Amino acid sequence: MNELLTKLAECVEFGKINKAAPFPPQMKGQDGADEITRQALDSGVPAQDILGEGLMPGMERVGIKFRENKVFVPQVLMSAKAMSTAMVHLKPYFASGEAKQKGTFIIGTVQGDLHDIGKNLVAMMVEGNGYKVVDLGTDCPAEKYLAAIRENPGAVIGLSALLTTTMTSMEKITREIKNAFPETLVAVGGAPVNDDFRLKIGADVYAPDPQGVVEFLNTKIA
Amino acid sequence: MMNIADVIFEQTYRFDELTIDLDQLSRDLGYEFDDLPEPFAGYLEQVVDDCRHLTDICGTYRLMDCVHSGDGARTVMAGNVEFKVGKTIANELLRAEKLAVFVCTAGKTISEKSAVFLKGDDPVLGYVYDIMGSAITEAVGDEIQQVISREVSLLGEKITNRYSPGYCHWNVADQHKLFSLFPAAPCGVTLTASALMHPVKSISGVIGIGKNVVFRHYQCDLCNMPNCVYRGK
Repeated sequence: MNELLTKLAECVEFGKINKAAPFPPQMKGQDGADEITRQALDSGVPAQDILGEGLMPGMERVGIKFRENKVFVPQVLMSAKAMSTAMVHLKPYFASGEAKQKGTFIIGTVQGDLHDIGKNLVAMMVEGNGYKVVDLGTDCPAEKYLAAIRENPGAVIGLSALLTTTMTSMEKITREIKNAFPETLVAVGGAPVNDDFRLKIGADVYAPDPQGVVEFLNTKIA
Repeated sequence: MMNIADVIFEQTYRFDELTIDLDQLSRDLGYEFDDLPEPFAGYLEQVVDDCRHLTDICGTYRLMDCVHSGDGARTVMAGNVEFKVGKTIANELLRAEKLAVFVCTAGKTISEKSAVFLKGDDPVLGYVYDIMGSAITEAVGDEIQQVISREVSLLGEKITNRYSPGYCHWNVADQHKLFSLFPAAPCGVTLTASALMHPVKSISGVIGIGKNVVFRHYQCDLCNMPNCVYRGK
C-alpha cells in the first residue's frame, strides 16, 4: 500500500487531525489527516483509493477498538474529526462522480427521545467507512424517515433510542417503514434494545455498537 | 395542619456549590484524571472555568400527598394526578405517604454550548460540555434530594431514591402531568409536544417520602446500559 495511505489510516485511527493538533501526544508535530490527504492527491493517488485504502481502514480499526473498550467516545470523535477533515479534500471528487460512496444510510433518534451521542457515533463511523449518511437528528417521527427514504431510494435505515419508553416509538416507526417500503432494511440500536426486541418489531438487524452497523451495511449493500 | 401541596421550593445554584466528580468525568473521557492528555485536560479545565459563570443552574420540588389507588401495582397518585410509573417504580413507592416531584436543570447555556460544539468544529469540546451538563444536572438532583431528606427527617420520615419518566418503563409522556404540578416553565424548563425537556440537560421525577420507605440503589440488573449515570447509585 502507498506509504501515504498507511500514514493516513494511522491519522484516522489515532485522531491526528492536522500538524498543529496536539493529539495524540505520540504524533505531536507530525503531519495529520489534513496534510497527508492533500499530499496524496497532489502525488496522484486517486480519491477512491484515499477513501478505501487510507480513511476506511483507519476508521474500521477505531470501530473495533471502541467495541473492545480500548478507546472511548472522545477518541472516536477525534478520529471522526480527522476523517471529516480529510473528506473536505475529497468532496469535489464525490461531487464529480470520480469517487463513489458505497451507499446511503439514513439515521435518526426516534420520536420521544433527544439523546444523540450514540446516534452521532454511528453516523460518523458509517460515513468513515465509505457511506453517504443522511442524519435526521433527534425526536424523529415516522414521517421523517419515510420522506428520507423517498428521497434516497435503496437507503438503509438506522433507528436509535436510549430510553426504555421510546422503544414503543421504535416499533411503530419500524412497522410504518416496513408497511410503506417492505424492501427497506432497518437497523436498530441503543442502550435498551436487544436482538429479541429487534425480532419482535420486525427490524432486520440489532447492532450493539457502531461497528456492528458498518458490518451489516458491508454485508448487505457494499 | 399545613397543606403540603402549597410548598414549592426553588433554588438556583452556582457551579462551585455543587459536587462534581472530576475523576468520573475523566473516566468518561477514557482516562484517569492524573493521566488525562491534551487536548482533553485543557478542554476539561476550560469547561470547568466556563461553568463557573453559569447563572441558570436550578432545582425545584413540590411536596404532594401520595395516594395509592386504582392499579396500585403500576400507578401512583400525586394529589389528583396519576402517574403510570410501572411495576418497578410503583413497588419502590408503595409505602410512600408523600411524593416530592422535582425538576432540575444545568440550564440553557451549557445545553446550547454542547449542541453547538458537537455539531460544529469541535465535537470533542462539545462532548466535554455534554458530560459536564449531565454531571451538573445530576449534582443538582443530589442537592435537591439532600434538601428533601433533611426536611423530612425532622418529621421522622425517610426518602426513596429518585425516579424519572423515561426509565424503568415509566412513559416519558407522563412528564406533561408532572410539569402540570408546577407553575409554567419551572426553573426555565419547558416540554415539547412529545414530552421532551428543554434545556436538554434537565431531569424530572419523583421521590417517595414516608416513615416506612426504603432508600434502595437502582436495580441495574433490569437494564443493559453499561454507562448509565444511575448505575450503582
